[in-house]
Amino acid sequence: MELSNVEKLLEKYFEGETTLSEEQELKVYFTREQVAPHLEQYKSMFQYFAKESTRKAPIDFVPTKTSKPFKMYKWVGVAASIIVAMGIFYQQFPVLSDGFKTEEEQKREAQYALQETKKALDMVSKYMNKGKNDLVYLGEFGNTTKKLIK
Amino acid sequence: MKETAFITLTNGFKDKLFRLAKRLLVSNEEAEDATQEILLKLWRNKTKITEYKNVEAFAMTMTKNYCFDKLKSKQASNLKIVHNNYQDENTSLQRDIEAKDSMSWVGKIMDTLPEQQRLIVQLRDIEQYDNSEIAKMLNMKETAVRVALSRGRKIIREQLIKKHNYGVV
Repeated sequence: MELSNVEKLLEKYFEGETTLSEEQELKVYFTREQVAPHLEQYKSMFQYFAKESTRKAPIDFVPTKTSKPFKMYKWVGVAASIIVAMGIFYQQFPVLSDGFKTEEEQKREAQYALQETKKALDMVSKYMNKGKNDLVYLGEFGNTTKKLIK
Repeated sequence: MKETAFITLTNGFKDKLFRLAKRLLVSNEEAEDATQEILLKLWRNKTKITEYKNVEAFAMTMTKNYCFDKLKSKQASNLKIVHNNYQDENTSLQRDIEAKDSMSWVGKIMDTLPEQQRLIVQLRDIEQYDNSEIAKMLNMKETAVRVALSRGRKIIREQLIKKHNYGVV
């Protein structure tokens, strides 16, 4: 390439008006051994660009390593949580797991439960009344404090 | 998409992603992380990949955004990586040798350019994308790309001439 042509292209190059193929010509010119002395300072620029474009990424991408174990753990988690949920369910409601009973049996059981509850409540009220009688003395405290505050 | 197909597809532009990340983040390790991250994102969305017209350009835009996010979070935590306080511990010898090489000056000068110009010079002069592609990747107007490119190149020239005349930058 002629020297005047190179100078013209350089001028255009710094205005950002060269095409990619013209830039390629410049690169070819400046990567030669012999460059006109007054253009020497541009040499390193184009050589740097040429060198940089051959730099390789020092890594290899292996996609399967990252994605497969993740999937397996997910399903193990799901299975474990189902087992835990079932365990809690049967502990809370063991009756449901006892199988089915006839209607008669269910009625009788309900009656029995009612009687038992009544008995328990009666007992509670009996002791409560007994306890309440003892509390009458506490009224005396109220009377005393009223006197003092006045 | 099968794994092998994905790898052959991404191998076509993997190096470009890395070089772009390296240009923006400076550190080798950070650039490797960024590249890995982008490839992983692409892999996760591999079903959609066929819908994109230009996977390469899409990946470049992703890389750019990822690096900008990184730089922003670095700035926020006051740990901005710039080439003058970043030290690559294992290559000091290599660096000494390189420093004598005038070519490495160009790299140093490039790393001092504003991000936008640095990005555009990288994409155009090193990766050889044309201006319309760059405009699409960076979501800019073509004229703005040309102006930034011209400014970036001129700054590099000025600094190089200075260095050429005085031996310092």
